[in-house]
Amino acid sequence: MTETQVGVLSCSGEEFLGGTLVRLATRKVMEELRPGKVVTLCLPLYIAGGEEEREFAKNYPVIAVDGCDKCCAKVATLKYSGEVHDTIVLTELLDRNVILSKIVSARELRPEHYAMADIVASEICKKVDEILAEQ
Amino acid sequence: MSKVKVIACSGIGKVYGLMTREAVLEVTNHLAPEVSETVCLAHIVTGDAAARAKVEGCDCITVDGCPALCSAKSVESAGGIIKARFRSIDEMRTHRGGDAGTATALSEDGWKIVDEFAEKIAAKVMESVSQ
Repeated sequence: MTETQVGVLSCSGEEFLGGTLVRLATRKVMEELRPGKVVTLCLPLYIAGGEEEREFAKNYPVIAVDGCDKCCAKVATLKYSGEVHDTIVLTELLDRNVILSKIVSARELRPEHYAMADIVASEICKKVDEILAEQ
Repeated sequence: MSKVKVIACSGIGKVYGLMTREAVLEVTNHLAPEVSETVCLAHIVTGDAAARAKVEGCDCITVDGCPALCSAKSVESAGGIIKARFRSIDEMRTHRGGDAGTATALSEDGWKIVDEFAEKIAAKVMESVSQ
């Protein structure tokens, strides 16, 4: 049985709904769908943290999960930490207009938003499983 | 005059990060939308020129979850003028014994704490605007 863990880095952006969905999906994968198989890191720790944080992408195969096509999780990981193994960009996966809409607080989320987060979580799981199968 | 930028760390590992995110959204969407707005911290972290332009030379209030101060350090490094720094971990100290929830979801108490926290941040926004 593999001991490999996969790094999942979400942008958690605050300007669009997409940031909230990637955050929810990442937490769901960590807690419910692939517990123990996935690790994450607060993205801004690349600047505020130390050597350990900078080594993240060298220690784990990383999946960058971004809410919009600025791809901040991917860009920051490449810039500060190293290679990105795979990426998910919500505006390519779901309705762009909805993803770029303003609803971002968990307080305002409706069942359809949780359903979208489930789609993202399932996409993350697919990629996590692919990586683990390669090891 | 540009709006005050209120920027959360949105840390994903602990409830403190979720508290910063929700408190900032309460301020910028409901308590002081005319005079404040938020900016994706992840975009600032990339070092992208467009992201830097969002905060450089602007009045900013940072809201962090833990002593790593990711928001404050990133905004400072991008040239933002930090008018106030908040930490949700400090806010929890005024609610000793309270259970705010998890990094995934806030509890009922967590939402109450966040609402009080947001009021304090909004007051600082108004103070910054009036200067």
